[in-house]
Amino acid sequence: MDEVTLDERVQVWGSRLAAGLPSGGLRRPRAGAEQLMMRWLIGDPRLRAALFRFVDVRPACHSRSELVRHLSELLEEAGGRERFGAGEGPVDGEHSGVARRLARLTGRRALELPTAAAAALGVASMAHRFIAGEDAEAAAGELRSLWEHGRCVTLDLLGEATLTEGEGELYAERCTQTLRTLAQLGAAWQPAPMLDHDGLGPLPRANLSVKVSALTPHLRANAPRRALEAARERLLALLRLARELDAHLHVDMESLDTRESITELFLELLARDEFVAGPSAGIVLQAYLTDSEEQLERLLAWVEGNPRGAPFTVRLVKGAYWDHEVVLAAQHGWRTPVFTDRRACDRHYEHLTRRLLDARAGGLALRPAIASHNLRSLAHALAYADALRLEPEAVELQVLRGLGDDTAAAINACGRRVRVYCPVGDLVAGMAYLVRRLLENTSNDSFLAALGSGADLRLLLERP
Amino acid sequence: MTAHATFRNEPALELRREPVRAQALRALAELRTKLPLRIGSASGAAWGADGAGGGGGGELRSHNPADPAELIAVAPAGTAADARAAVTRADAALTAWASLEASVRVRTLQRAAGLLRERRLELAALEVLEAGKPWPEADADVCEAIDFLEYYALGAAALAQGVALLQVPGERNTLRYHPRGVHAVIAPWNFPLAIPAGMVSAALVTGNTVVFKPAEQTPACGHALVQALHAAGVPEDAVVLLTGSDEPARELVAHPLVHGIAFTGSCAAGQHIIRAAAEPHPGQRHVKRVIAEMGGKNCIIVDADADLDDAVPAIVKSAFGFAGQKCSAAARVLVCEEIAEPLSERLAGAIAALRVGPAEDFASDLSAVIDAEAVTRIGAFLEGAEHAPRVQAQVPAGTDGHYVPPTMFVDLPSSSRIVREEVFGPVLSCERVTSVEAAVRIVQEGDFGLTGGLFTRSPRTIEYVSRLGIVGNLYVNREITGAMVGRQPFGGGRLSGTGPKAGGPDYLLSFVEARSVSENTVRHGLVI
Repeated sequence: MDEVTLDERVQVWGSRLAAGLPSGGLRRPRAGAEQLMMRWLIGDPRLRAALFRFVDVRPACHSRSELVRHLSELLEEAGGRERFGAGEGPVDGEHSGVARRLARLTGRRALELPTAAAAALGVASMAHRFIAGEDAEAAAGELRSLWEHGRCVTLDLLGEATLTEGEGELYAERCTQTLRTLAQLGAAWQPAPMLDHDGLGPLPRANLSVKVSALTPHLRANAPRRALEAARERLLALLRLARELDAHLHVDMESLDTRESITELFLELLARDEFVAGPSAGIVLQAYLTDSEEQLERLLAWVEGNPRGAPFTVRLVKGAYWDHEVVLAAQHGWRTPVFTDRRACDRHYEHLTRRLLDARAGGLALRPAIASHNLRSLAHALAYADALRLEPEAVELQVLRGLGDDTAAAINACGRRVRVYCPVGDLVAGMAYLVRRLLENTSNDSFLAALGSGADLRLLLERP
Repeated sequence: MTAHATFRNEPALELRREPVRAQALRALAELRTKLPLRIGSASGAAWGADGAGGGGGGELRSHNPADPAELIAVAPAGTAADARAAVTRADAALTAWASLEASVRVRTLQRAAGLLRERRLELAALEVLEAGKPWPEADADVCEAIDFLEYYALGAAALAQGVALLQVPGERNTLRYHPRGVHAVIAPWNFPLAIPAGMVSAALVTGNTVVFKPAEQTPACGHALVQALHAAGVPEDAVVLLTGSDEPARELVAHPLVHGIAFTGSCAAGQHIIRAAAEPHPGQRHVKRVIAEMGGKNCIIVDADADLDDAVPAIVKSAFGFAGQKCSAAARVLVCEEIAEPLSERLAGAIAALRVGPAEDFASDLSAVIDAEAVTRIGAFLEGAEHAPRVQAQVPAGTDGHYVPPTMFVDLPSSSRIVREEVFGPVLSCERVTSVEAAVRIVQEGDFGLTGGLFTRSPRTIEYVSRLGIVGNLYVNREITGAMVGRQPFGGGRLSGTGPKAGGPDYLLSFVEARSVSENTVRHGLVI
């Protein structure tokens, strides 16, 4: 199909999705305070940095006075309090006026307690937007409610970094427990054809996203085989349990340093005879990596060469470690492994989408999952799938809880399958996650930020 | 020195990519076919039939620390006579080298950097085998050597412009920097290319000539540096390689024709050099200048609000990278008591997960220590604390490699040798403190002041500790090793060294003498 025709279909899908956004889509009034905060954050990088650092340190504050001390210090810094004497601080124009005013407030004794409480509360409620509960059990109501709204889920277990064998063991136990809980919970949900089947067969209701880096302290960028030996038994046990419970096991992708270990390990295990019939499994492809097409070809070749009873899911994401990859490369003098131009990255995302959908249309036992909050990217996937005459169930769209709630509603309204990536864990564990999501949501490149600030829909749906 | 603005660090090998690792391993295999390397003698004589150097001191041999049966290089064991001959040659070469245009020396050093760059994989492989340095760190050392050559070349070009002085009518005031004379460079084995490259190139590029004595454990690395300098066009006698152990080094320090001594090594040796160099010798008409980089007993302070997910891996890397054999390595963790338990627990688990093995294996977190003597020395520290509870990782069994298990002690009494003295091995002491202020006092009371770490999420605490200047290099919320040229100028205070900071803007000034000229431009009452 030529590009013009495809693009017309993308526009049509984009408008349908936009119309499905709650409150008619654009300029949806958020709660007043939150809206104001988001506006400050987007427009004020120093305040943004201060608040993120506060959110980050929040769980380490064991008393209210600790909390206030950190908040006012961070705000003072953002407000331009000199750190190393004249000449070395940021130039005056870069200071945050909002931060300075807030710093004065938090610095006043009388306001200490209420401010601290508000600060603590603010973080907790922010966190709750992104984190469904402490564990699967606690999130049961939320998961059921999502299902009843036409949304299936995948669970992600937040936690501290795994630095020891004990921590790896603990994470594996949490995974085991979660799989069992999810299988139980899912069994009680009402039938939902769009969520329960696609053309390739039944879709497991229990769906867990696993981080290999949390299974073992032995991930080493320069020695990918080391993690294979270290994590093999734990991942094997999870795959066997998923097979037994008819659950889906997905491995998440993390920083580029770990890609080789994760891919090698997962594909090696899945290729075993014992897993020929199941479980359903999948991996993640990060479109922001400039070599992601090679990675996709490798995955497709593997799927082709390893016919299994259960189809293989590839979740296409943009990638969440952009800053990390850029910083690491700059500090070592390496070629930047990610696209640095947003439009080039979006173009590549669409290119990989087409490659995935082509492969599915070509008869491969592959389930493409398009995970994005960018309406253009989602519309493009739906338009291209239509053009290939794929059945509506063939394409799954995925969003993050908290950030993608409106997008999920829009997808529901269009009658397509949406899966919500739901992190569970305690507040302490959720901080890194929360900070990452907030940074994304308020960055200049954020589609949601643009949408929230009332940018022109036509521009947002333009071909990248 | 605006010239430094154009400086960029040499990019590290991207070892996370499989083809790069494969290349590195090929270079190692290729190097193995050439072993043992045979290094010529300082006095220029060809290798004698007896295998000894010109001075008759016999030979010294370097071995793979992970497999001492593997001979890496054979070099002459230089004698006092060899040292005297080397100084005589360097002195004779001085006038010609010093009188070159600065730009010629600058370009020569830049060419030498290029030659090292061409041999990067081979040189890293050599460090892997001769120093037992794991790949990423061996590669970083080669990069740092290149960085030093490039950085000091740019610095020397800027220095040659002189400095602007106050001018009043009828006066023309100028200031130029002159070379000082023959320099002795006495280098350690732990950064076998980078540290000598820094000291040698700083002396050379500013117009001095050099007699360079590499550590006896790593003669081949030292030789590779001199080879590159000669191939780039530095005259044979302007930089003379003198392999050997203590005897030639003592002679160099005492020699009346030596004007400056650049040393990196132990505190005891450094203090000895400072004393010996202060003693004038017959015929000596100058004061010797000593630049000494000595030891460290580096502390990482962990505040109660620190993120342990970051702090633990950074502490492990700082304490156990290259088996702790860096003067910048972490020796003590001073943790606020609120989080002392979880920190030491997680540290223990992380240490237990460390893998000890040959440096050439990419999966090794840490390697063997340099030689049998180091095993004995570190062993004595561990035995001295025999009743104290400790956490250790496994070391490979059934090998003759010089392995020492990475070890952590928790809450040792402050009188323990492990708390007080520099171990220079994979040994860490974790101690609880009541506050950051208390930790700062402990650092200030220590003999050394080289590197230090601080983990905190409070801007005020960062400011408080930074302002105190308690160590030469303070690292906040990151590992405390791996200083980069031009980014973290390196060097400490107290007994850690004399300064100036290596890889920083002031370093070259220690290798030159400023001379000012004031010319009267008034003739017959007129300004000409």
